Amino acid sequence: MQGWVTLALLLSLGAKRSLAQNGLGEPRGLTLNPDLPAQTLSLAWQSDSTLFDLEIFHTEFMNVVLNATVEVQADPVTGLHSWTWHSPLPLECTSHSVRIRARNQQSVSQWSPLQTIPGWDIPEKSYMFPEDKMIPVGSNMTFCCIVNEKEDFKEIKYGRQEMKATRLSRRSYAITVTNQPASDNTGTNVICSSQKFQILTGTVVFVGYPPGDEGLVCETRDLASAECSWKKGRDTHLRIKHSQTNYTLNGRDCLEANERKTWCSSKMWEENWTLEARNPLGTVQLTDSAQLTDRVHLLAPVNVAAVKVEAWSATLQWSWSVAAYKKLEMVCQLRLFAHELSSTRNYDGPGLSSVVLEGLWPDVDYTVTLRCGSKHSFWKWGDESAPYRIHTKMDRPDALDVWMWMDSSNTGHVFWKPLSVRKSHGALDGYEVSQSSAEEDGRNTVSLPPGNFSYPIILNNSSDVTVAVAARNPAGLSQPSTVTTPAYRADSQLSVSELLGTNGSFVLSWEPNVSASSGYVVEWFPTGCTGHCPIDWKKLPESDRSFTVNSDSLVAGVRYTVSVYSLSTGAPTLLQRWQGYSQEMIPSQSVSELSLNQTGSDVLLSWKATEMKQQRGFIRGYTIYLASAAHLDLIANITDPAVQSYRVKGLTLSSYKFVVKAYTSAGEDAGATVAIKMEMDTADMLFVGILVPLGIMFCCIILFSIFFYKKREWVKKAFYPEIPGPKVSGDWSSPRGPLDVKPSPHSLVHIVKNPEWDFTKEGLFPVPEEEEESENDNMEVDTDSDEPALLRYYNQVVGDGSHSNQVSDSSASSTASMGSTQTEITYAGIQSPSSSQGAYSGGGYRPQMQSVTGPAEPQIEFEADFQDDGLNAGYKPQCSWQLDSPEAENFSGSLGSPTSVTSSQFLIPESSEEKPQPSNTWFHNFLSGKS
Amino acid sequence: MEGAADSDTPVPERSAADRAAALARLLHRDCTRLLELYKEREDFLSQHAPGGERLVTLALCPEAPSTAEQVGHVRSALRRCMELLECLIVREVEEMGEELQGEYESLRKTVKDRLGHLLHSTGALLENGEGGCPPSPPMQCIQGQDEVEASDSFAAKIWTYKVLLELIHWTDSASQTLHVFHTEKHGQQQQQQLL
Repeated sequence: MQGWVTLALLLSLGAKRSLAQNGLGEPRGLTLNPDLPAQTLSLAWQSDSTLFDLEIFHTEFMNVVLNATVEVQADPVTGLHSWTWHSPLPLECTSHSVRIRARNQQSVSQWSPLQTIPGWDIPEKSYMFPEDKMIPVGSNMTFCCIVNEKEDFKEIKYGRQEMKATRLSRRSYAITVTNQPASDNTGTNVICSSQKFQILTGTVVFVGYPPGDEGLVCETRDLASAECSWKKGRDTHLRIKHSQTNYTLNGRDCLEANERKTWCSSKMWEENWTLEARNPLGTVQLTDSAQLTDRVHLLAPVNVAAVKVEAWSATLQWSWSVAAYKKLEMVCQLRLFAHELSSTRNYDGPGLSSVVLEGLWPDVDYTVTLRCGSKHSFWKWGDESAPYRIHTKMDRPDALDVWMWMDSSNTGHVFWKPLSVRKSHGALDGYEVSQSSAEEDGRNTVSLPPGNFSYPIILNNSSDVTVAVAARNPAGLSQPSTVTTPAYRADSQLSVSELLGTNGSFVLSWEPNVSASSGYVVEWFPTGCTGHCPIDWKKLPESDRSFTVNSDSLVAGVRYTVSVYSLSTGAPTLLQRWQGYSQEMIPSQSVSELSLNQTGSDVLLSWKATEMKQQRGFIRGYTIYLASAAHLDLIANITDPAVQSYRVKGLTLSSYKFVVKAYTSAGEDAGATVAIKMEMDTADMLFVGILVPLGIMFCCIILFSIFFYKKREWVKKAFYPEIPGPKVSGDWSSPRGPLDVKPSPHSLVHIVKNPEWDFTKEGLFPVPEEEEESENDNMEVDTDSDEPALLRYYNQVVGDGSHSNQVSDSSASSTASMGSTQTEITYAGIQSPSSSQGAYSGGGYRPQMQSVTGPAEPQIEFEADFQDDGLNAGYKPQCSWQLDSPEAENFSGSLGSPTSVTSSQFLIPESSEEKPQPSNTWFHNFLSGKS
Repeated sequence: MEGAADSDTPVPERSAADRAAALARLLHRDCTRLLELYKEREDFLSQHAPGGERLVTLALCPEAPSTAEQVGHVRSALRRCMELLECLIVREVEEMGEELQGEYESLRKTVKDRLGHLLHSTGALLENGEGGCPPSPPMQCIQGQDEVEASDSFAAKIWTYKVLLELIHWTDSASQTLHVFHTEKHGQQQQQQLL
């Protein structure tokens, strides 16, 4: 073991010796000089070498934070080597140790002794570094938190963001934030908190931008000093006072400038200007250069006043607050504001201080503003003066536009148009109307208030009257306008042309007239207007041959009368007259007095046209419709508006509704409706109502008669068949009556209590004795006999329905049976026609001899039997069921014939059976072919 | 007669105590809102509670003071709060300038004005000398700020938060004490009327 140690020492000494033998001496006198705010560490040492290896550690954990080889020349004066290291971490965060050695290619000297600068994680307090730093947006930064000895570290938050911390030493933790965003007004908080969420310590970092100002411009307001302004650039996000931007202008502090005020002044004009904007994050320089005369920005004129105001002009004066302006060649701009009279005028001159405003209008309120600028090297308009108000004086009104309209041969109105503001030259007091005629001396003058624009004229004689109208305001009376009464021409006296509107206007043209020495007048007014009509007119020079009456003065759907007069020294002469609509519309009302008159199968529709006011267009015709429930069927289109009736022909007896519509070029009106129910004439009614049915009936009778005559045999068989006489084979002279059957004990009819009738079986129906007794009182009945009670059976058709019928029909039998002491049987079987049918088909009771043939026999064989049965006698002798009565069962032919109360069979009175002869009536004879 | 008796009642004094209590309640609400606004600006205060000592503590008054003495005690605290608030305003204006004029700045001025009125009102209540505490020694604006172990800006924020907490605490105390004071006075006056 000792041998190994000795060997190691020898090797070590050998290595040292080899280094020393290389000539590389160990750097000496290493000193560390930290700059904490700058996070830099300056190293200085002495050495003969120029190449060095450097190692920097975090002392406590000896983590290497720098291992580099640098070439450093010695300072020629001091002979010291200096090197500065910028630490990414604030040097306060933990202790740093440095060692250094010289290097010459692969040969190195020994390391210098470690030099250490202590961190702030030694004292027993909490700290956070760096403190209140200002850095540009996007920077990376490492923060460290030194935790108090007694506290437990939890986390470090950057703003709201929890960061991952690394441990630098026992009490120091660090986070690194990259690409930091701009801070809020009071900076970004970085907080170090304990496990109990208590704030251990914290710091604030201000992340922002360097100044971004731009656009420096300097100008002079007083021709001596300078005012420089610029535009604020990007927000620096640095709000705290010592981080705000400071400005200097040509090296002089510009104290008035700040975040909001971006201008700076200088007492003297300098041709070159430099503005420097500086904040902790950077500096920006702006420059401008110009001659003073090129940057004159005049102040506003003061004491602006109008020294002389007339109706059509005014003189404006002002003064300057800067005496130097008086010699400046300047241009001034006056802006006049008035209702519809605004204008801008420019004036120039040296030191301009007054101007005469020409071309004003009388009695108008003007507001004047004034601004000036340097005429030569115009830079910009100066400040504008405060508004100044000028009210021009009044002047006499302009002459009126006068026209006279005659509504009859001796009455009319003189009209004049109201004067506009520009022409009245002051508020009008009224009008003066004077009229004169050639035959009368002097003038009649009338004063009218300002609201009047017409005056009635009455011609007492045939001579023309000349009317003069003048407007009056406080400044005086206008020039009178004269007009002579034109000759009245009613429309009927003229050939009035139809005038079609064009786009809502009337386009007129006329032939020139040699007498129109003073031009023409186009006059238009609503046709048919009386009294205070809205007369409008336009005076045109003699050179004009056409005129367009604008749609502004026309109303759609109103008929206008448009006239052209020629003007000369005398009365106006009517040249041409039209009537028309500027724009046609559909009539507002339907035709009036629509009526109809029936003549046979024709109907005459007649109506009257609507009044002109409601026509709203020239009526071009009428359309006539036949109205049905859903639509209108056009039956006529009358294109001649003068035709106001129409005959509808060939109508059948029914109800009709007619609609008549007038139409203009714009379309049809809503239509007037009239309805009629077509009726026959009296003769027709007689014919149709009486004779036709009679004729039809007569024809029917004849046809039936012929038919029945031809088919009389068939009819006789169908309705009145020959009733065969009875063929008696035995002694059947005894009175007829029910057959009393004494059933043998072994052949008693087994009475089934079930009231239901089985149609498939034949049955017997007991007939009560008493009933028979009452009916056949000549029959002797042994009531005391010990023999079984006699049951009478009646050949009946029995059904299970229509009981009520049965009760009434066979009451004689059924009710009687109820009281029988011999049979306690109640037969409630009801026979009905419906059930009878089934009974027949199924076969009712059959005589024994008939049972041989059975129900399978053709039914027709039972017809006679049926008819016999219909004779209402009870039981018939068996022999009476003869096969020679083939129609016995066929009773369908008996429908409609008198029937017995018990059935629907023919009911032939008993006497008739006994005396068949009385059936030989005329009809029977007829059917039989007997005369 | 009743009207004459009523007219002799010292209503103004009672009303002054009542008004002072109402003003203290209003001020308490203002201070609470001011702290909310400050927390909106410095949102870390909503998540973390700064530790440390109270800024306004009074230990000069007797242990079981009368209500009037308590009013005087509270008034002394409010006076200290006023000094702190003035320091706070000066510091904030110095740091941020007067350009920022938001709701916080507006309410901060309102609190200062109302606190001045409350001090004046409570001073008038104690004009007869009852309950007065010895005047506190003059305060330096930096008092309390250096106790925070953090950067200057961060320490100022923590200090501002503490000042606002003191304002809330002492205006609440003032409203309660003045209410008791008003109630007692009112009772005494009623007893005097009954006698």
